[in-house]
Amino acid sequence: MRRKNIDTCSVITRHNFAKAASKVLISLCLCVVSSALLLFTGTAVAQQSERPNFLVIVADDLGYSDLGSYGGEINTPVLDDLAQQGMRYTDFYVAPTCSVTRSMLMSGMDNHLAGLGNMGEMLAPNQVGQPGYEGVLNKRVASVAALLRDGGYHTYMAGKWHLGLQPDQIPHARGFERDFSLLVGGGDHFDDGWNIEWQIPKGPYTEDGQPVEKLPKDFYSTKNYTDKTIQFIEEGRDDGKPFLAYMAFTAPHGPLQVPDDWLRRYKNQYDEGWDVIRERRIARMQELGIVEEGVSTAERMWFLPRGSQLAPGVRIASGRKMEIYASMVEYMDDQIGRVFDYLKDIGEYDNTVVIFFSDNGAEGADLVKMFSGQVGSMGWMHAGANFAESGHNSIGRKGTFAEYGAAWAQVGAAPFRLYKGYVTEGGTRSPLIVSGPGVQGAGAVNTTAIMHVMDLAPTLLELAGVEHPATFQGRDILPMQGKSWVSTLHGEAQSPRSSDDYLGFELFGNRAIRQGDWKIGWHLDPFGTGEWQLFNLDADPGEQFDLSEKFPEKRAELMALWDEYEEMNGVIIGNRSLLEGAKKQLPTPVFESSSYPPVRGMEKISHKKLIELINQK
Amino acid sequence: MKKVNCSARFLALVASTLAIALISGPANAQDDGARTYWKGRAGTNAMSVQYLNMNLQASDTVQFDPSHYIYPAADAQADIFILSWARHMTLFNKPSILSANLVGGSVDVKFDTAITPPEFLPPGVVPGTSFSQSASGYADPSVQLDMNLFGTPKLPAIFSYMNYEPTWTLDAAFMLGVPLGQYDDDQVVNMGLNRFYGRVAFPFKYHFRVFSPGYRSSLEVVPSVWLFADNDDFLGQTLKNDPMWQIEAHWTHDITRHFFASLDLLYRNGFQSAIDGTDFGSDIEIGEIGFTLNFEVTPNVTIRTSFSSNVFGDSDIDTSMIRLQFIYAWDRAIENLKKLGGE
Repeated sequence: MRRKNIDTCSVITRHNFAKAASKVLISLCLCVVSSALLLFTGTAVAQQSERPNFLVIVADDLGYSDLGSYGGEINTPVLDDLAQQGMRYTDFYVAPTCSVTRSMLMSGMDNHLAGLGNMGEMLAPNQVGQPGYEGVLNKRVASVAALLRDGGYHTYMAGKWHLGLQPDQIPHARGFERDFSLLVGGGDHFDDGWNIEWQIPKGPYTEDGQPVEKLPKDFYSTKNYTDKTIQFIEEGRDDGKPFLAYMAFTAPHGPLQVPDDWLRRYKNQYDEGWDVIRERRIARMQELGIVEEGVSTAERMWFLPRGSQLAPGVRIASGRKMEIYASMVEYMDDQIGRVFDYLKDIGEYDNTVVIFFSDNGAEGADLVKMFSGQVGSMGWMHAGANFAESGHNSIGRKGTFAEYGAAWAQVGAAPFRLYKGYVTEGGTRSPLIVSGPGVQGAGAVNTTAIMHVMDLAPTLLELAGVEHPATFQGRDILPMQGKSWVSTLHGEAQSPRSSDDYLGFELFGNRAIRQGDWKIGWHLDPFGTGEWQLFNLDADPGEQFDLSEKFPEKRAELMALWDEYEEMNGVIIGNRSLLEGAKKQLPTPVFESSSYPPVRGMEKISHKKLIELINQK
Repeated sequence: MKKVNCSARFLALVASTLAIALISGPANAQDDGARTYWKGRAGTNAMSVQYLNMNLQASDTVQFDPSHYIYPAADAQADIFILSWARHMTLFNKPSILSANLVGGSVDVKFDTAITPPEFLPPGVVPGTSFSQSASGYADPSVQLDMNLFGTPKLPAIFSYMNYEPTWTLDAAFMLGVPLGQYDDDQVVNMGLNRFYGRVAFPFKYHFRVFSPGYRSSLEVVPSVWLFADNDDFLGQTLKNDPMWQIEAHWTHDITRHFFASLDLLYRNGFQSAIDGTDFGSDIEIGEIGFTLNFEVTPNVTIRTSFSSNVFGDSDIDTSMIRLQFIYAWDRAIENLKKLGGE
């Protein structure tokens, strides 16, 4: 860590010179010893004074278009300012769900190798016990936190872990010196601490590796994670080491909850309904250069009515949920601002690489229904006893577990198709803002680079001057698959990936490959056809037009890449999927007159126009 | 001073006190009652039927005119039925409630004359005995208009009600009683008052916690003043009464989504009487405390029960009131939506 020590040096006098010199000598000795130790562990460390701090901020279930700097109407001045200082990336990929993404973030590996081939809660019978399907961050990988810790960094974490509950799986055991962590995937944001899963009725927290018996009375997740981050940095900064601070917010993941003072910050701002908001966002995204004008954007989900066709009361009831969601996002932005202010106060902000993104697409499911939907089940009893309150004026407060549902999730996912849980762009594309020393192109939007969350670990290691070892703590570990962004961040390359590189995705049986502008996707009915579909993301980021018949060779080419990906990463398609029953649960498709209500904003493009666009490009 | 006038003044006090309890507001033992001024969607209607059993005992130390007389013990009992209708509406762009009450029943009052000087007894009453008077039939109907002044927006639609999260509110309410009830000018006990009367009230509410069923709490304070026209046929004389000041308060709290309880308080002071220009007695002062339990049986049907008793004020008057109320409320828009829901 770079300290404010210039003034201190300048005031060294003869009287304390000897004392200072002795301190320097001791420090040098310690450096030599620690360097030797680090070399012994197989890592190489760059000059400490050159090494930046890392502040990795992960939002939970934040939609692609929610931030102001990505076209959203939600007030996010801190992150918008960060975007002006740094670079925004439009083609940054994560996994469709949280723990899966986090495994790749921590390991730099594909999730099927890192232990989260499937979410631990959703393992199919044929995946149980298989390598890569441990449901936790497995021991075939070393976490980037552990490597940085051994490389001379302080490593702090505050927020959601979701990569293992056992003592040898928790953040403290996987490389974080200090932590305040929610070990499971989500839950109550207040001190009630209810977990949505009845098996673990209260969200288990750890602090510095020890169980937290009781949350403080005024606990609110976002605020307390921020407090802890600042506390950890403050308490560790005396030795001058750089730090990795991982802020894994649980906001705006459901339950939608925010402190009472923030509940009505967006009152009635979403009463117009989701279509209007979504169209405005897309228009704004086009202004910002996040989305190219004239490209095909996703249709409104066919089972959702146009917002303007709903009775005002229904729109208000639905809008209330989005209001709370927006407040959660703004609250998070505000708290991130507290960390930035603190870093500026201690003179560390300019030496800190800040990376902000979301762990997956916006959440379209109702998790309470998902986990407790079966009447008579234990989950149903748990929800009924502890967080069933759903009054219009109650939601957002303690004791309520509201979600905003598919209609608003497709707004968060704009301009893409579907949302969290699916390997469409809506489920896997996340905003990404990177700022800090060496990051070129302040305020610009990079629409060329194809980036992935598993790139983060190699990027941090390269920036820290720490090499990824072949063995860790006496065991062989897999080499990282992610690609460092350093040359891209420094403006030396447009993308960390070449045109031959590709990205693979698989979760809940749905699968996809992206190479360049092309993507094939396979989705279970009703969100797919059960066949591979081919999309051109440059012209059709909304994945609306299956070009399989028009470009069969390209489809075959990408299907071959899928085979390679599947084999290379040990993918096991589950014989049961969370999404199997989706078709039965969806309402009847909603049709609407072409003349009423008038379609605002976005004009849909025809298939013919799309082909013209592709040919032009 | 005629003896009859003295007895009449006392009886008038008893009867008027009961009558005020009967006429006040759309139907509550503690006058208006808890949550009476909560606003619903414009167009919402409520019909209420309630039964009240009221008792009043005045002990032998009641001193209605401290400079002259000690007056006798009395025991009054009333069985009252009230039919009320209320409609929520928007008036002058303000949420308002128009309500009307029809009151009927019977009142029996028994006097003990044992310690009453003979010259103050009604004609024909033998000292040392008791005598009774009773009345039955309709009492005076009344209408009331309540209008919000601050704190509540107009609520014309379901969606506007959904946005309604009150903190504090202030209303103005005007009530008028019309002398159409049973009245016998030979009696001192009647169901009707034989005069117009009215009330001006300023209901104030402060909502605590969350305005959501199951979580609502409120402090409600309703200061008001009752005004009475003269009764120019009170046993052939003219009865005048000074205004009566009243403060009604409720602390209400949702126990569950469909059940709330209220701690009720009522304080009245004033009502100095004068017959044919001569003051009699002093102001009455009655303070009652009670409670209300309100059960929402279905979204349309509510059952409410209350009990109250005086605990301070004039120490020689004991009152108690038990009420049982059945309320049916409906909103045409919501009823229509229910039809779509298959009901």
